Amino acid sequence: MEILLGFWNLVPITLVQGLIYAFVALGVMIPFRIVNIPDITAEGAFPLGGCVAAILLVQGMHPLLATALAVVAGFCAGAATALFHLKFRIHSLLAGVLVVTMLWSINLRIMGRPNVATFGLLDIFTWISDAIAQNLALQIAFFGVLLLVVLLLLWWMLHTEVGLALRGIGANAQLAPALGVNYLRYAVAGLGLANAITALAGALSAQLQGYGDVSMGFGLLVNGLASVILGEAIIGRRSITTQLLAPVIGCLVYYQLTSLALSLGLAPSDLKLVTGLFVLGTIGWTLAGRGRARALAT
Amino acid sequence: MIAIENLSLRFHRGTPDERVALDDLSFTIAESEFVVVIGTNGAGKTTLLNAVAGSIVPERGRIVVDSTDIVPMPVHRRARFVARVFQDPMVGTAPALTIEENLAFASRRGLGRKFKLALNAVARSRFRDLLVPFGLGLENRLQAVAGTLSGGQRQVLALVMATIRQPKILLLDEHTAALDPRTADIVMQATTRLVAEHRLTTLMVTHNMRHALECGSRLLMMNAGRIKLDLAVVEKSKLTAPELVRRFGEEDEQILLPGEV
Repeated sequence: MEILLGFWNLVPITLVQGLIYAFVALGVMIPFRIVNIPDITAEGAFPLGGCVAAILLVQGMHPLLATALAVVAGFCAGAATALFHLKFRIHSLLAGVLVVTMLWSINLRIMGRPNVATFGLLDIFTWISDAIAQNLALQIAFFGVLLLVVLLLLWWMLHTEVGLALRGIGANAQLAPALGVNYLRYAVAGLGLANAITALAGALSAQLQGYGDVSMGFGLLVNGLASVILGEAIIGRRSITTQLLAPVIGCLVYYQLTSLALSLGLAPSDLKLVTGLFVLGTIGWTLAGRGRARALAT
Repeated sequence: MIAIENLSLRFHRGTPDERVALDDLSFTIAESEFVVVIGTNGAGKTTLLNAVAGSIVPERGRIVVDSTDIVPMPVHRRARFVARVFQDPMVGTAPALTIEENLAFASRRGLGRKFKLALNAVARSRFRDLLVPFGLGLENRLQAVAGTLSGGQRQVLALVMATIRQPKILLLDEHTAALDPRTADIVMQATTRLVAEHRLTTLMVTHNMRHALECGSRLLMMNAGRIKLDLAVVEKSKLTAPELVRRFGEEDEQILLPGEV
């Protein structure tokens, strides 16, 4: 009972965490599921967003503009991965590893040190209302509304002519050029968009916790993948609506499950091992299921 | 008018495997002409099609559409002139998109794409009208994902997608070869109907001798990257399949097989 009570008390703060990382899960889902180019740049785009926002706040920039520039930086990171992948013909995952590695130095270079505190500065939360920093319910409302806006914008965009072309390069890379779609341009935009969303989460996260750090968000990519897999297992990915909601729902469930596991005694240091095993297990299970389906079909 | 001028291409150039795919090939296709290309494997027919589509760049020669040489253009730029139906039914449609999304996707071929909803009531009713004549019931399944369609249905959808905006030239790359004979006939009828209705300038590669004889207004036989025989509709109508094989100048039973891949 005591354990469950401990978990219950953590539900609101875990919900805030889940809502922030839901942006990351969205940023992980888009390259894998919509553009169909596996991408790990999220791992670097998240701290990039945080570091850019933090240093710009310290230099006295308006929090809205600082956050917007962090988002632009994230877009550039994703675009760089897509360009390296397509122009240098290296695997997209390797291109992502290169970008993430280089971003480490870039983050250190732009901040001048491993972390930058923003305590006491005007940030996006204090700009809206001083009450947010102390109030979990307000934080949940803030991130919930923002997430809803991003989801609605994405849903609309994916149903436009441009969005159909973006889904088109993912659905059939050979057909799309034959229908006049510039594959390179759309791949760059798709990965850029995904990592812009991830960088937004990084920028907001840094402002909420009061500092930007080069190592913030280590391992987030795997958490994002786990969220996507979990969400798709729960609500499927049959339509654009479910494909967009899956990472969000998966993320909220994932962080509550994590919190439950921790309160049941899982050592926090084992969390990444368990998450990795979960991702592997789910993929293995899906493959086994497909094998069975094939066996039934033949 | 489409003019193929001195098109040349060798595969594996400079190696012992060097092979001539296109040998100084020149011919013109008149407006609304339906050209059927036959030939043995390695004759260069698919290479010709790929060169027009842009997926292969020739070593030499020009492909002139409306007095523009399209050879320097990447695939996505020539899409303005060229529409294509692939041999593999999996390639001609986007499996993860619905039927109506596929059609909306294709209806912007060669045009700019805007941040504007791709589907609306007007578009849907137009798509329905386009699909009704094929009698496959696709018009009632607009929201079905294309991946759930059979090979023949997907090939018909691919045909409608290729012709939803009138191309300067329609390329059909053995587009019935992967289908069973009955479905191949259905798709071929759909093709003939669409080509006639829109008076489309068409270049079709086929291995199916019956289709080659029954369809089209001109028959080209290719061999070793050159045109071996060029028959207009009048001469063609007198031909029979065995005679066609004889004029091929070689004993190749293979080309008699309908639907051979």
